[in-house]
Amino acid sequence: MSKTPALELINIHKTFGDVEVLKGISMKAYDGDVISILGSSGSGKSTFLRCINLLENPTQGEILFNGNKLDLIQGESDLVANNMKQLTQMRQQIGFVFQSFNLWPHMTILQNVMEGPLNVLKRPKQEVLEYAEHLLHKVGIAEKKHMYPNQLSGGQQQRVAIARTLAMDPQVILFDEPTSALDPELVGEVLGVMRNLAEEGRTMLIVTHEMNFAREVSSEVVFLHKGVVEEKGTPDQVFGSPKSERCKAFLSSTF
Amino acid sequence: MDFSVVVEYFPRLLSGAWVSLQLVFLSVVLGGAFALPIALARISPVAWIRAIPFTYIFFFRGTPLLVQIFLVYYGASQFDAVRESIFWPILKEPFWCAIIAFTLNTSAYTAEIFRGAIQAIPEGEVEACKVVGMSKAQMYRRVLLPRAFGIVLPAYGNEIILMLKGSALASTITILDLTGMARTIIARTYTPIEIFLAAGGIYLAISIVVIALFRQIELRQNRYLGTLSIKVPDKG
Repeated sequence: MSKTPALELINIHKTFGDVEVLKGISMKAYDGDVISILGSSGSGKSTFLRCINLLENPTQGEILFNGNKLDLIQGESDLVANNMKQLTQMRQQIGFVFQSFNLWPHMTILQNVMEGPLNVLKRPKQEVLEYAEHLLHKVGIAEKKHMYPNQLSGGQQQRVAIARTLAMDPQVILFDEPTSALDPELVGEVLGVMRNLAEEGRTMLIVTHEMNFAREVSSEVVFLHKGVVEEKGTPDQVFGSPKSERCKAFLSSTF
Repeated sequence: MDFSVVVEYFPRLLSGAWVSLQLVFLSVVLGGAFALPIALARISPVAWIRAIPFTYIFFFRGTPLLVQIFLVYYGASQFDAVRESIFWPILKEPFWCAIIAFTLNTSAYTAEIFRGAIQAIPEGEVEACKVVGMSKAQMYRRVLLPRAFGIVLPAYGNEIILMLKGSALASTITILDLTGMARTIIARTYTPIEIFLAAGGIYLAISIVVIALFRQIELRQNRYLGTLSIKVPDKG
């Protein structure tokens, strides 16, 4: 474990209108950490994840990537990136997997996976193609590479989305409820892929409702409630003997 | 009714139709080229940049095409500066006056169609561009414009057909387009029903070709959607 966290969030606040969704959340992720973020809906867990790479602009707080502070300035109502180049470079190294997959529907599966490394990172085509095919094979979807996203099931689309993220060789991957939009029988195939990534030692922050999965793969579990960190610790601590009453109530209602 | 006049004058009608096609083709191509920057300015986050295309579109959508043609054709020549400028050889020609008016008019409508298409792209697809670290230019080139092109087709085909019919107004400034030619023939033969029926038939035939063409492009372009309609992705 290196001394500098791969990702460090300090005192993140986010307000939508009059509603304060995040009330000062801090978190550190070192290389190899798998951090699961739990909480009931409205607890701010997705908003927090989206603040990390500025899909939402926090109203207050600091974001450090490998010790480098993201340059933020005060905008009209929240903090905005002061240096677009720094932001895009950071985004290139932080993968993000969406709840609703968000594949580009006008591109084939293979084109979706190749797009980032080929046109953003400008890597040579042959190398990108081989890597993309390797990744599609890894997520078990190589035979569908020439199909379009709308011809695939939700679980297959999400696996493609994960391959698309991996193709960028990200240092950290953020997962925003990756199985919540899937039919129950399709959840397993996506969790299987994510489990393999965790075992490879990838650094991951996962917002999820899959309690068993979180318990098995996480190095740390964080429970958010009403925009604050209510409880955090190892999976055994949080799931085995939670200190917070709210966390206890949440866990007993989900198991 | 005597349809022998239709046979006799059919080649003249076709030469009028050829002028109509030139008018529509040139103004649609030029208008389409102008429409893209206008549409992009229209969705700019900066208020004063948005205001310029907004005013432009407001004017050209809110006034009759006929008035716009008259403004260019009769209006421009009122000014000495225009008559003495290097543009006069163009502005004194009714054909080019019609092209200018049609281009300005259709670019305003087309810009609105483009804007709607760009804004109809689901936000998630834009976010997917952001998280791989695309620049704004890459986002437009790789995802937004290709996606918008697919969405825009049905409305854009409609705009071209409207333009085809609007082109009949060119006959009011002495141009012998299909309508102008029909009126000239009728003045000589006194057979309005026969000749206007024939002219209407030719307009219909051109429309059918445009519709069929767009249907083919739509099928090709949107084959990834599985149907002709735009499927809204499940937001979950």
